[in-house]
Amino acid sequence: MSLKQRTAELSNFQFSLLLALPVLVFLVLVVAYPLGYALWMSVHEISFFGGYKATFVGAENYADVIDDRKFKKSLWITVRFTLESVALAMVIGLLIALVLNRRMRFAGLVRTIVILPWCISLYGTGIIFSYLAKGQTGIGTAIAYALGIEEAVNVVNRQWVIEVLAVGNAWNMAPLVAFFLLANLKTIPSRLYDLAAIDRMSRVGTFLNVTLPPLRFTLFVFTCITTVLSMKLFDFIFVLSGGGPGTSSSTLTYRIYKESFKDLDLGYGAAMSFMLLALILGTTLLLYAFWGRREARSI
Amino acid sequence: MRMRLSTVWSWLALAVVLIWTLLPIYWFLKNSLLTPDEIARFPQPLYPLEPTPAAFFNIFGFEYEMADGLVRRGSGQANQIIRGLGNSLIVSAVVTVVTLFVVLPLAYVFARLDFPHKNKLLFAILLAVALPPVSTLIPFYAMYVRLGLSGTLVGLIIVTLTITIPFVTWMLIGYFRNLPQVERLARIDGFSRFETFVKIIVPLGRSGVAVAAVIAFLFSWNEYTYALMLVNGTTANTLPTAISGFLFQHPEPSHLAAAVVLTMVPPALVAFFLQRHIAEMNLVDPVR
Repeated sequence: MSLKQRTAELSNFQFSLLLALPVLVFLVLVVAYPLGYALWMSVHEISFFGGYKATFVGAENYADVIDDRKFKKSLWITVRFTLESVALAMVIGLLIALVLNRRMRFAGLVRTIVILPWCISLYGTGIIFSYLAKGQTGIGTAIAYALGIEEAVNVVNRQWVIEVLAVGNAWNMAPLVAFFLLANLKTIPSRLYDLAAIDRMSRVGTFLNVTLPPLRFTLFVFTCITTVLSMKLFDFIFVLSGGGPGTSSSTLTYRIYKESFKDLDLGYGAAMSFMLLALILGTTLLLYAFWGRREARSI
Repeated sequence: MRMRLSTVWSWLALAVVLIWTLLPIYWFLKNSLLTPDEIARFPQPLYPLEPTPAAFFNIFGFEYEMADGLVRRGSGQANQIIRGLGNSLIVSAVVTVVTLFVVLPLAYVFARLDFPHKNKLLFAILLAVALPPVSTLIPFYAMYVRLGLSGTLVGLIIVTLTITIPFVTWMLIGYFRNLPQVERLARIDGFSRFETFVKIIVPLGRSGVAVAAVIAFLFSWNEYTYALMLVNGTTANTLPTAISGFLFQHPEPSHLAAAVVLTMVPPALVAFFLQRHIAEMNLVDPVR
């Protein structure tokens, strides 16, 4: 009883501490400690053969990463994959939201189907899209044969593999974007559309002036979310293309996986993973500086 | 006439959306119903000519006798699939429960109370969301190898929490923030702060709590990166790693497809619930 009374008199700060401290300790354990450990590893050369051994090498790992031509190639692949994924996911997400915003029968069923790609796993998506795009089993081949062109259509090749990955990734992410945009669309009063009609605004004009403005902040946030998700994506790429053919789809995450867990050069992998983290944070900060700050102010 | 045209267009748009969503799933999952004969064909048939559920029996190790008397043997991977299914259920259940216990108070505190350094701590949570799993794995891997935790369910559960906790916290902060301001009223009615949280806020926000639980479950059910590197090929393998046995060993597309169907059952079951409630979670607010 006395404990309960005392709790009632706690200040905001004390109460927050009481509730959040155990949790924060846990969070430090699962986030800060591994990050710190990774930082420590990135300035050491770690070897497993003949017993665990760590030798201090200073910034050597970082210097090696920057000089590594494979790293630069992977960086470029990551940027290209991310740009395409984000553009596709945002546009498709917006289109899906606009379609779902109409009044229709079986709306619940339609929306249940539409959210499905987001619910299923990324390795599942990887398997699905590798079957869809590869020559032996692909839908392209089936269509080509149905049209009488007897040739296998394989798009998982050096030239197009990144686009295949981007489409699959967008397929998985777009529903999330769509559902949050849809929630925003529902808040637009239909009166505004009547007014736009009275003003004889064109369809494009109505879309730009009535529909788009309330969506802009959500569009910004989800551009950030999809960017982060694409940059840190691994399992989907691992399953679909395995970084190949050759190294044509070796994104930074795939490179890190290869250096750390195949070649067991954990220090080098850790250094590279900090580069990736810098890329992720840098991109989101830039997005915020050039876009988000303006949108946040306008609300 | 113009009215009609726009209806036609909107039906067409809906059809395109449904095809975009379902075609990839259909194209792969039809494999689960194909006969070995049809799978070997080139190009592949557009639909199963003689649909057979054999693969679904095979992946659990049962034989299946086809109509023409041909017996399709149980898969050699059956033991792994069954064990993987059990392990996946255990990991997902534990992760869901732990995540909720950790996340509910944390999100509440961030959403409703003010305290020093709040924004910095919030930033730490968002940072944790942005961490790539491959990077998080490096220190954990080194640690686990030395502690003997690799290849164990406990190890996998701990790492999986590093994904679910930050994301679900972020989701719930926006949700809790939008609940009505009942704290003061509860105070007047003699509730302590702790009681307010447990007896009023949590029940009031039950649909948000349910979404949080569902998302935590889905994330850990769908988790593959950590499982691949920590438990693949051990007795702690989960369903996704059991399936990668089909992927990289000898190809048996119908078994692979049937196993993937298995992994899609929970996502399909929660999809109806999620489509109704996901947008209540405010991912946008905490960033503002």
